[in-house]
This record gives sequence, C-alpha cells and structure tokens, in this order.
Amino acid sequence: MALPMPSEPLITVRELSKHFRTFRRREGIWGGLQNLFVRDYHTVRAVDNISFSIERGEMVGYIGPNGAGKSTSIKMLTGILVPTEGEILSNGFVPWRQRAAYVKTIGVVFGQRTQLWWDIAVIESFKLLRRIYDVSQRDFDERMELFGQVLGLGDYLHTPVRKLSLGERMRCDLAAALLHNPPLLFLDEPTIGLDVVAKDHIRQFLRAINERYQTTVLLTTHDLDDIEELCRRIMIIDHGRLLYDGPLALLKQKLLRTKQVKFALRDSEQAAGLGALERALATNALKPEPVDELTYRILFDRSRVSTAELIRQILAAVEVRDLLIEDEPIEEIVKRIYAGEALQEVSAPAS
Amino acid sequence: MRRHLILLLAYFAQYAKVRVSYRADFLIGLATSVAATAFSFGFVLVLFSRVPQLAGWRFEQVLFLYGFSLVPFGLFNVLSLNLYDFGNNYIVEGKFDRVLLRPVGSLFQVLFETFRIESFHEVALGLLVVAWASRRLGLHWTAREILLLAGFGLCGSVIYVSVFLGLSTVSFWFEDRIGLHPPAWNLLAFGRYPLSIYSSFIQFLLSWIIPFGFATFYPSVRLLASATRGGTWAGTAFTRYAPLVPAVAAATLGVALLVWNQGVRRYSSTGT
Repeated sequence: MALPMPSEPLITVRELSKHFRTFRRREGIWGGLQNLFVRDYHTVRAVDNISFSIERGEMVGYIGPNGAGKSTSIKMLTGILVPTEGEILSNGFVPWRQRAAYVKTIGVVFGQRTQLWWDIAVIESFKLLRRIYDVSQRDFDERMELFGQVLGLGDYLHTPVRKLSLGERMRCDLAAALLHNPPLLFLDEPTIGLDVVAKDHIRQFLRAINERYQTTVLLTTHDLDDIEELCRRIMIIDHGRLLYDGPLALLKQKLLRTKQVKFALRDSEQAAGLGALERALATNALKPEPVDELTYRILFDRSRVSTAELIRQILAAVEVRDLLIEDEPIEEIVKRIYAGEALQEVSAPAS
Repeated sequence: MRRHLILLLAYFAQYAKVRVSYRADFLIGLATSVAATAFSFGFVLVLFSRVPQLAGWRFEQVLFLYGFSLVPFGLFNVLSLNLYDFGNNYIVEGKFDRVLLRPVGSLFQVLFETFRIESFHEVALGLLVVAWASRRLGLHWTAREILLLAGFGLCGSVIYVSVFLGLSTVSFWFEDRIGLHPPAWNLLAFGRYPLSIYSSFIQFLLSWIIPFGFATFYPSVRLLASATRGGTWAGTAFTRYAPLVPAVAAATLGVALLVWNQGVRRYSSTGT
C-alpha cells in the first residue's frame, strides 16, 4: 500500500471539473415521444474547476445547497466517477484509475443508503465485509470490541438490520465503513434524519476515531451543528465552484455582521405596544419578526445600530418576560453566501 | 481465483441465511416454482399424447431434449433474478455506487447478490426426465457421456447467463425499468424443441444470433446420438455442431463481458 509521506497532504485536488451532458425533458405523452427523437442537449458544470488539499488527520466539513456539486465531488474522490478535467491524488492513488486498490483504503457512508444486508443480523454483514476487505480475524475482533465500547453496538449485533432504528443503523453503517480501518473516511450526510441524541452519539464516535487512528474525515452535511462540533475547517461549494475554504472561525469573524435580539412578551396584552415599537424601529429600517406566539426577533447590523439603544427602544414600548442577544446563527451566514452576498469578503480563501 | 471462490461461498452463505430467516417464504417459493415446472412439463406430455412424432423425432427423444434443456436452464435460474432486476435495482435506485466502492469485481457482486436456490429442482427434474427417456430409448450411458452432459449443461448455463447479462447491461445506457428480458425469455422456450421444426430464419437466429440452440438442442442431439451408438434419425444431421458448444459459450460470454465493461465505463463517466 502506498502511504504518503507525513509531510505531504493526504488528498490533493487540482482544477477538478465534472461536466454532464443532459437534455431538457419535455412534458406529457407527446413531449415524451419527442424526447425519443429530438433532444436539445446542454452541458451542466456540476463541479467547476475546484482545487484543495487535505492533510492527514483533518476533519473537513463540505457544505453546499442541494445540487451544488457535493455528491459529484465525493463520487470523484471515491473513484465512482471519472472527472472531465483535473487531477485527484488521494491516499497515494488516482481513485478511478486504481479503484480496486484504492477502495480498500477508504471508508464511505451514504447517510441515505445502508450498505448492510437488510434482512439478517448486523453481525452477518460485518462478517462478510471482513472477507470482502481481507481483514484478519484478530483485527476484526479488536475493532468490534472498540465499536462495541464507543458505539454501543453490542446490544443489537444480532438484530436484523431492518428492525434497527435509523440511529442504530447509522452507527452500524459507520462501523461497517471502518471495519478495515481506512485512513480516510467519506461521509455523505451521516446525521440526516437522526434525533439529537443519535447525532451526538455519531459525533462523539467520529471524534474518538479521529483521535485514536488519526482518521481523516471529509463530511457533507446540511446540519451545521455537525460542522461546528467536528470540523475546524469548512469548504463551501455552490454551482460547482468552491466559494470558501478555510477555518470556520474565520468565516464567522469576517461575515458576522448581524446580531439578533430575541424577546418574549410578558403576556398577550403587551402585543398592543408592538405598533409603537415598529414605528420607533422604522427610522433604522428594522422590523420585529414573530418567532412564535409571544416571541419576536429583530435582526440588526451591529456596525450601524447600537445594541443598547435597541434594547432601550424595546423596553420603552413593551414589557418583556425574557430578552436574549445572539450572534447570527451559522445557518444564516451560509444562506447569505449561497445567495451570492458577502462573497467579496471571503474571496481570498485561507489556505 | 481462490479468494473469489471463498467469497462466492461467503456470498452464498449470506443469502442462505436470508432465506432461512424467512422460512415460510422459502417453502412457498419452492412449492410455486416446482408447480410451474410441473405444469409446463405436463403441457409437453399432453401435447405429445396427440402427436406421437415431431419432424421425425420420437416422443421420448423430444422428452430427452426437454429434460436436458432444464439442466442449463435451472443452473441459470439460480442467478437469473439478479440480471432480471439489474436496471431497477442497481441503476435506477443507485445501488451500483456501492458496488464500485467495494474491492471485488463489479460483475461478481451483481451476479452473486442473491441466489434462487429453489431453481436447483429444475436441474433435478431435468435429470430425472433424461434418465427416464434414456431407459425408454434404450440409451447406454458411459462415464464419458455423463461428463459430456455435465459439460454441456455448464456451457448452456453460461450461454443463458451471458445473453441475459448482455441485455441487462442496456440499463447502463437507458434507464429502462421493463428491460429486454421478456422477449428473450420467450425465445428461450423455443430451444426446448427440435430446431428442425422451425423456419430457417428462426434456426439461424437461435444458432448464430442468440445462440440458445447451442445451450439445449445441439448438445441433446449429440448426447442422443452418442448414447444410441450408430443408427440414424432426424437429428443426426445436427450432431456436427456439438463440438462448437464450448466455443459458442466462450464467445457469448466474451461479448457479454465486453459490453459489461463498456457499461461500467459509461456509468463512471455519467453516473446514471
């Protein structure tokens, strides 16, 4: 197995692109018939000239809206898809050219799809995977013990996969992907559909694996809590282009302009005072937005509006039971980036 | 090779565990499958109670052909389900991604995903019919002919698997849910009767385009002739094609593998 030297990155991606040729599907029966004969093709740049590198032991969050090119990138990085242009060197392999050797050195989890055998006990899937990946019995036993400790698999190893809850199944899928102890792990939405407890379990496990084996992790997600809890580094992709690649903290620091004040009215009678508040705020072009029945929030730009002044205005108009000042949630920042705003500010990606 | 043999056993064991975990399902599947074979066999019996001769073939000879055809057919059916569902299962639902992520050949994983174990009964029934017809015809079996029968049976199943594999591979280009299997499936039944009853077009088609004739008809003629020791009949003219059986099986498999590899290449450039 070709192991890269510790000094060089584990993954190097250079000017990677993937173009698909698709055609517009016409609607209806007549349209369907037309589709058979006449197709107006156009090229979609699913991934458009992206470059990055990832060091051994890093955990990197890879985010972007649906259709941004995340899955296509992951598929190229895992050797499923051949790029249209550009190069990938991962774990010392060119993924699509040396696929059989390469896939032995990576683990892949698709959150939406299990790789376990649906109808039989979990342990049977693990046993077959042990053969597929040529894992020795000793290594297998050792890892099963670790997974048992950290993931708590022991309780349902003998349950058929179809009877597991989503959270349990995801833990099993993670274990399955790590059975051959790959130095590199790709996770495509590993926490999708999980409850808070299950998500926390998965995150703890990933941290443990990363610490113990120096496993490098690249994960895509729509849940930014995953990123905040696991990744120091974040890559944002949209329309096939890499919009940001750098520390999460830097992104926050640069883009965090907006804060929010959240307040809860003492009771429903206080709603009468909202009109006055709205008028007072209008001079600064601010507006209270309802969150739920008695709770409202005001988003404001901290460089233009003083927090103290704003609070004074609120308290003058209505009686509140509770008041909270927060930074803008990371979701909002990302939404702004997707919307094309604030790009200039991050246009010089940190290395 | 050895690794793949061990893996094949492991895959088979895995599947057996699945089937055993649904015992009722397995028993019902076995029962319906046996019934289906019995009905189609009964049809042949009824037919020949009216028609004692068919293009110079005696009833027992046709029965021999029919019985032998069940041997490659049964072997093929153990795997056929994987090919039948391939487009839907792997391409439309995207399971093929997972196949490409495992360090085992893609065709191996698809072909041995599940096994229709109950189809082995077709092989058993076929051998019974062959034995019965042989007795009625007074055929003399030596070790050589038994080996020949086993070899022909294997080659025949390779031809079936290859043809249907080739048809399944179309799913790499078109996301078809119905597939090209049903028409080919109908054609397959043609090979259970003497080729000489068909028009020359169908004879050509079944020999050189979709070579089902080489899976059933030509081997049967050879087995009947060798076991008869001399004596000519309507089938004698066809015995000279029998030596081609392994070559035709290899060629069909070669074409299927070629198309398969092209399909996989196409998949990894388009992802559909």
